[in-house]
Amino acid sequence: MKQDITLQAKSMEQDTILRVENLQTKFKVGRKMVHAVNDVSFELKKGKTLGIVGESGCGKSVSAHSIMQLLPKNGNITKGSVIYQGEQGQLKLHELKRNGKTMRNLRGKEISMIFQDPMSSLNPVYTVGKQMEENLIRHEKLTREERRERVITMLRELGIPDPERRYGEYPHQFSGGMKQRVMIGTAMICNPGILIADEPTTALDVTIQAQILELMKEMQKKHGTSMILITHNMGIVAEACDEVAVMYLGKVVEYGSLDQVFENPLHPYTKALMRSVPVMGMDRDKELETIPGATPDGSQVFTHCEFAGRCACAEERCWKQMPSVRTMEDGHRVRCLRYEEG
Amino acid sequence: MAKYFFKRLISLIPKLLVISLIIFVGLKLLPGDPITRTISPDAYANMSPAQLEDLRESLGLNDPMPVQYLRWMGNMLQGDFGYSQVNGSSIAQMLAQRLPATLELAGLGLIVATIFGLALGFLAAVKQNSLFDYASSFVGMIGVSVPEFFLGMVAILIFAIQLKWLPPGGRMAPGKEAFLDRIEYLALPVMSVGISYTATLMRFTRSSMLDVLNKDYIKTARSKGLSEFTVNLKHGFRNALIPIMVIIVFRIPLLVSGTVVVESIFNYPGMGDMLLSAISGGDMPVVMMSTFIISAVILLVSFLSDMVTALLDPRVHFEG
Repeated sequence: MKQDITLQAKSMEQDTILRVENLQTKFKVGRKMVHAVNDVSFELKKGKTLGIVGESGCGKSVSAHSIMQLLPKNGNITKGSVIYQGEQGQLKLHELKRNGKTMRNLRGKEISMIFQDPMSSLNPVYTVGKQMEENLIRHEKLTREERRERVITMLRELGIPDPERRYGEYPHQFSGGMKQRVMIGTAMICNPGILIADEPTTALDVTIQAQILELMKEMQKKHGTSMILITHNMGIVAEACDEVAVMYLGKVVEYGSLDQVFENPLHPYTKALMRSVPVMGMDRDKELETIPGATPDGSQVFTHCEFAGRCACAEERCWKQMPSVRTMEDGHRVRCLRYEEG
Repeated sequence: MAKYFFKRLISLIPKLLVISLIIFVGLKLLPGDPITRTISPDAYANMSPAQLEDLRESLGLNDPMPVQYLRWMGNMLQGDFGYSQVNGSSIAQMLAQRLPATLELAGLGLIVATIFGLALGFLAAVKQNSLFDYASSFVGMIGVSVPEFFLGMVAILIFAIQLKWLPPGGRMAPGKEAFLDRIEYLALPVMSVGISYTATLMRFTRSSMLDVLNKDYIKTARSKGLSEFTVNLKHGFRNALIPIMVIIVFRIPLLVSGTVVVESIFNYPGMGDMLLSAISGGDMPVVMMSTFIISAVILLVSFLSDMVTALLDPRVHFEG
């Protein structure tokens, strides 16, 4: 039995395209240091989708930006590692210079990102075609006609009608959903190994959300891309992800496969999150539960469990000790004292 | 596009008419008998009221104001700009000498100030909170707050009188009339005219750039693996330029009025110098004409800049 697990672990190792270990990212705000990401570890497997969920301000976006080294100037990775298993071998992304050549060669080519607000993610003064082409100009040697051809093929693939005409149009002539399609196309045009989607549907209309999510899944399947999907929407996780990392205040508190986390949530925070979203077929008159209290300030330093103040199951020891990550037998990981005595 | 262009061009005509009317009425409302500015005080004292009346009649000063205005406009449209009341020389000829000098001064000031203002502002924004940023905003503060005439005098004192590097005034030396020979004469006036313009543009470029650099599409550009230089210039500066163009246009009238003062400090024979001496000499036809020409030039320049601004921003529609 034990042998089985180690064997499994080894094969998992080979499928992993990105491994983040104990990542810590800090921001300097005035004189204060804000710990946006405290201890984040996860693995992204080839061709799979990892969902990162959590409420606003829990460090989901910062984790993603840390991987790409796209943090604002006052933010820096202070601990931990980000290891990318590229075609040319392993790369330690956390050690790269943020705007150095190696990092820039990866961005857009091997690791791409799409952002929350498609309305402001496109440059208003250049045509959509020109902006999509920029990736190709930077990373591939193609003639003007070949590039145009690639972009138009991509626009067609994205389900944008009349791609030849749309190629020469400006972002303000596109709707929000169409802009997000363009963003997805721009990110996917060089066939990257990893696509990081930072709340890609949050700013969109609910009916468009489903379309965009469907499109992303389709593109992922077609190109074999691995995806990190950042969201606060449990429904999207259930819909699109293979694995889930639940984050609270800069830390991953629960991590496992979709089934593990959804069928058998271990951490009280995950359980509370599940109870706070509507489920198909639930009693209409039942009110949704909310999590009491508010997320603590990021500059606060804790010596005990960060969630203790809002946790329904908090005991005396939760106020004294810092929980560490415990891996269950099935690989399901949780950061909670209640599972620690073993 | 062409339609929009022509519509805007044609809309300049009523604007020019209104300006000419304001100038005309404003100067007619000035107190005093215009005849006294035409003839010498001695001659005025020796003339009988009947003679004066004849003179007024022959000069058309007795006609109703609208008739006088229409005559002025009619003559101007036929290329007859009138004559100076003080020395009788043709205003058209005076303009032909003076206008190029002012255009040269203001144009060079505009070009130099725009280049320096944009470049320094761009660098200050890209290197935000660096020593360069602090130094440039300090110098910019001085540039904005110190008036041109004072800077001009200080410049004469230092570069012309103390260091003797550059001439203290004038436009050219006799026999040396090529542009390159005139540069030493232009250096100080251009500097005085352009310095506050440079400072304004620098500060505005910096804040506009900082604003743009925080936009999401800058992050998108970085996420494509583009170099910092490309991100800052192609995605940052190109967008920052749209509001900057507006400031460039808005400041042009101030630049021109700056040349009036600077020309008189440097004895520079331009429109400003001509206008000032015409005002102090009570030479109304010259004042009217040069004010009108200056306004027309400003109007034309802002029309052109409007066009450039519209071309820079694809979201502007060329309709209606």
